[in-house]
Amino acid sequence: MTEHDDLDMQIAEFVLGTLPAGERKALQARRELDPALDARILQWEEQLIGMTDDVAPVQPSPELFAQIERVLDQRATQLNNTASVVMLRRRVNQWRWSTAAASAAALVLVAVLTFQPANNPDSFVAVFQHDDQQPAFLLTVDLQNRQLNIRPVTAEAQPGKSYQLWIKSDELGPNPRSVGVLGDQMQLDQGALKQYDPALLREATFGISLEPPGGSPTGQPTGPAIHGYLYPAGDDLSRRI
Amino acid sequence: MLPDSLTPSDISALLSRVAKQDRAAFAKLYEATAPKLLGVVLRILKERSWADDVIQEAYLKVWQRAGLFDKGKASPITWLVSIARNKAIDELRKHPAGRTTTDDAMDERVARQATVQDQMEDQQVVNKLNHCIGELEKERQDMVRLAYLSGWSRDELASQYEQPVNTVKTWLRRALQDIKGCLES
Repeated sequence: MTEHDDLDMQIAEFVLGTLPAGERKALQARRELDPALDARILQWEEQLIGMTDDVAPVQPSPELFAQIERVLDQRATQLNNTASVVMLRRRVNQWRWSTAAASAAALVLVAVLTFQPANNPDSFVAVFQHDDQQPAFLLTVDLQNRQLNIRPVTAEAQPGKSYQLWIKSDELGPNPRSVGVLGDQMQLDQGALKQYDPALLREATFGISLEPPGGSPTGQPTGPAIHGYLYPAGDDLSRRI
Repeated sequence: MLPDSLTPSDISALLSRVAKQDRAAFAKLYEATAPKLLGVVLRILKERSWADDVIQEAYLKVWQRAGLFDKGKASPITWLVSIARNKAIDELRKHPAGRTTTDDAMDERVARQATVQDQMEDQQVVNKLNHCIGELEKERQDMVRLAYLSGWSRDELASQYEQPVNTVKTWLRRALQDIKGCLES
């Protein structure tokens, strides 16, 4: 069986539901940043969906939707309180890690979502997360001065590894480009974005990966990528974190 | 059940409004699709309150991710059902003991029959899939349906059919390959 067939069967079993939990999780994480993989999963989902035709619909209780709306209301209120977010931008599909690079076993943290605060259109913040709970890094980009500030939140230095920041933009081609490797104090040259114009930065996606010391040997991020979340900017930020 | 007035392209249109944070469209989308999703999830988890939790999470995800739906790549029903079904299976793998029984899944499988008014999928597609599954050996048909519809794991299938887990894996993959080949023919 070729590697392609094997992946196809892994995808098929994922959709069937029998892929073991660990493999299942890994495939879901990869899917977030690999549009080709996502498309293949969608194809299998489409092929098997007909089986659900046998399942009788069940009317949900009226309370269930009310509860969902309450959660949405709460979230909307949280956003409004910060008074700084208007546009949320999703960039999940913008990342295309090369498959070859993705096979290297490195833990990777990536922010795939950025947003722009409306009342301060000259800067934005991206939050990079380890998992669903803990923000790992906070990146602030001042568009006007093309300055960046990266701050570890819960991220810790890893022995024998370096964190590397990447930028991805359609204008820069299909692959992420390195912004720089974070130093021992988790710092990065504030002027590392000088070469990019503000319009590009505004549309760009940023990611962080954990690489061998000194940065990725391939010039591309290695390892599977994890999802990120949106956070409002503004003065409340530190309190929320 | 999909109300007569809502076609897949209506659902797609609702999704694109939801992507713009349109709460009215979200309510309509929910009303039209939640019974289908709940049916699928409940069949996997068996427990009503657990299924409700998954449905809630699924629709919150739909609210967040509606902008990622691409009607060129997936049908809206498939996209929605898959979000809920994936969550249900994730839950089941996280808390395998949470499901009280797997026995009734066997009965449902035997008793399965489509009811006309429930059908959200293109009937030709459904018929073809049923035909292709019907081409498999009886035992493998059951395994595929138990896995897909009731969330049975490889291990559960292995003990039900008294086979080593690796044999079950091989059978499932062969069955999926056969289904794919048959669908493409």
